[in-house]
Amino acid sequence: MFREMFALTLRALRKWVRNPASIMPGLFTSLFYLVLFGNSFNPANLIPGGTSGPASSVLQAAFGGAPTYITYLTSGVICIILVFNMAFGGIDLVLDRQLGYLNSLLTAPIPRAAIFLSGVAQNLVKVLVLGVLTFIVALLIPNGLQLPGSFNVLDLLGVFGAFIFLGLGLSFIFTALALSVRSIDSLVAIVNFLTLPVMFMSNAFFPPSSFPDWLKTIANLNPVTKANEAARLLLINGSLTSAQVTTYMWDMVYLVGFATLLGVLGYLAARRALRPE
Amino acid sequence: MADIITAEDLTKVYRGKVTAVDHISFQVREGEIFGFLGPNGAGKTTTIKMLNTLASITDGHATVAGHDVAKEPGAVRKSIGVVPQELTADDELSGRENMVLMANLHQVWRASANSRIDSLLSLVDLQEASGRKVKTYSGGMRRRLQLVMGLLHEPKVLFLDEPTLGLDVQTRTRMWQYIKQLNKERGLTVFMTTHYLDEADSLCDRIAIIDHGTIRASGSPAELKEAHGGDIITLTVSNDKEDLTAFLSSIEGVKGVTREGRVYRIRLPKTEKALPSIVAGVVQKEAGIEEISFSKPTLDQVFLDVVGKSMRDEETSQSDSAWENIKMERAR
Repeated sequence: MFREMFALTLRALRKWVRNPASIMPGLFTSLFYLVLFGNSFNPANLIPGGTSGPASSVLQAAFGGAPTYITYLTSGVICIILVFNMAFGGIDLVLDRQLGYLNSLLTAPIPRAAIFLSGVAQNLVKVLVLGVLTFIVALLIPNGLQLPGSFNVLDLLGVFGAFIFLGLGLSFIFTALALSVRSIDSLVAIVNFLTLPVMFMSNAFFPPSSFPDWLKTIANLNPVTKANEAARLLLINGSLTSAQVTTYMWDMVYLVGFATLLGVLGYLAARRALRPE
Repeated sequence: MADIITAEDLTKVYRGKVTAVDHISFQVREGEIFGFLGPNGAGKTTTIKMLNTLASITDGHATVAGHDVAKEPGAVRKSIGVVPQELTADDELSGRENMVLMANLHQVWRASANSRIDSLLSLVDLQEASGRKVKTYSGGMRRRLQLVMGLLHEPKVLFLDEPTLGLDVQTRTRMWQYIKQLNKERGLTVFMTTHYLDEADSLCDRIAIIDHGTIRASGSPAELKEAHGGDIITLTVSNDKEDLTAFLSSIEGVKGVTREGRVYRIRLPKTEKALPSIVAGVVQKEAGIEEISFSKPTLDQVFLDVVGKSMRDEETSQSDSAWENIKMERAR
């Protein structure tokens, strides 16, 4: 089971690494969001004294204490990268079906779960690499991500721990979706319908405290919001107060639950999709 | 020899509407090359898919290597090798990497995997190219690689779906040699579908012709040719004073005579038996023999007789039914 899963995951990642161009679109997306969106939509530019005057502390408080807008935005962009690339990562799996590759797997004595889990694993690894690159880009750009002095390796693990569970849940469901659809067109249609609401009904760009109530309610249930909340606590504060630790833990519980639920649903859907026709 | 594949009333109905395979029964014996022939949309690929566990069985039942296909799909998958119509070797990986991947997927351990990979690659003359990415391979090399990719776990039965599709004549002949070699040297049972009648004729021990989801004829190529084709003597006489049709038809062994002016086409199972009486009779009638030739039957004739159209018409004509279009769409 794990040997087959590992072999299939390795095949996909090998292809990915050998084609450096495949990583560029994702990298450019994060660069555009961080540099272009981060500077043009910066709320501090709208308010007189937003960058240094008394208004700046009001803004900082609204943005969870983030010293700059891009510091707040970085986590959101990583989540967006995660959602988008996870969703479109399924295209490779649809192609495998269309080219007959999937059939050659299905006639081999490979557990169906190994086929599903290798799809989950390859997507997760790909987007996490992009997530790490986005983090590095955010650190390198001028007026970019400003980490607190106390930020350490454990905090970094805590940040990516949140992204990993968000990514895992997304990978479960998008892999199952990719195995279930028969054409790239239908995958793209579904994914386009899903990704924008997930992105806007969250705290990826702005704090939900400024949203109307109905949107706030939805945004607070969105796992993207939970992942950002957990990651931002560490990215903005470094060492956490005990109240912040509790918030972080509850966010993680929520994300683990989200991943588990989608894991079960995804597996059932994939098993159905891989049944004999 | 024992039967290694059995199908009884095997039926596939897609979405409760389209009957792709309609109650077919056949047996494949251990160690033989069995050919499944038929026009597009006849049900060849669907039959293979049912035997390969890719398609569920609507009705009837089938066994492969002693395992019930519907009840023990895992055991069936362990005993079969499948070489699909589509080229599924990974372009971005080298030939050897593709083989290693297949070995891993079939639980062949590293030590035995390496020696098997070497021997299979050299069998199809791909040793030298094994380090190159598959995207640099020619069509023939890809087919050869794919052929041995299906053999790493030493299956009992190899399914070949159109193994020489799109290859030139020379490369096809070489593929036939490899398939024959595998069959002879390793005792591998081969179940293959093909469009090419000459391919079936030269490779297969036995053939079944399938059309509209049912088997129309089966037997060895020689049996089929004798039953459906027979030899044809083409006789050109020097004068057409007298119509010889009735006379020629009365000769023992002659199955049919058609006349076009001075040319008679005489159908009979075996030329050798009736030829002396034909020649003697024509001389006696003073018709004068200008030219006489005879041709051995081909599977083309059999196919024409059984399906009602030749394979060549089939290849060029537009497929008319919606189902054929769906199948072709999926094949792309």
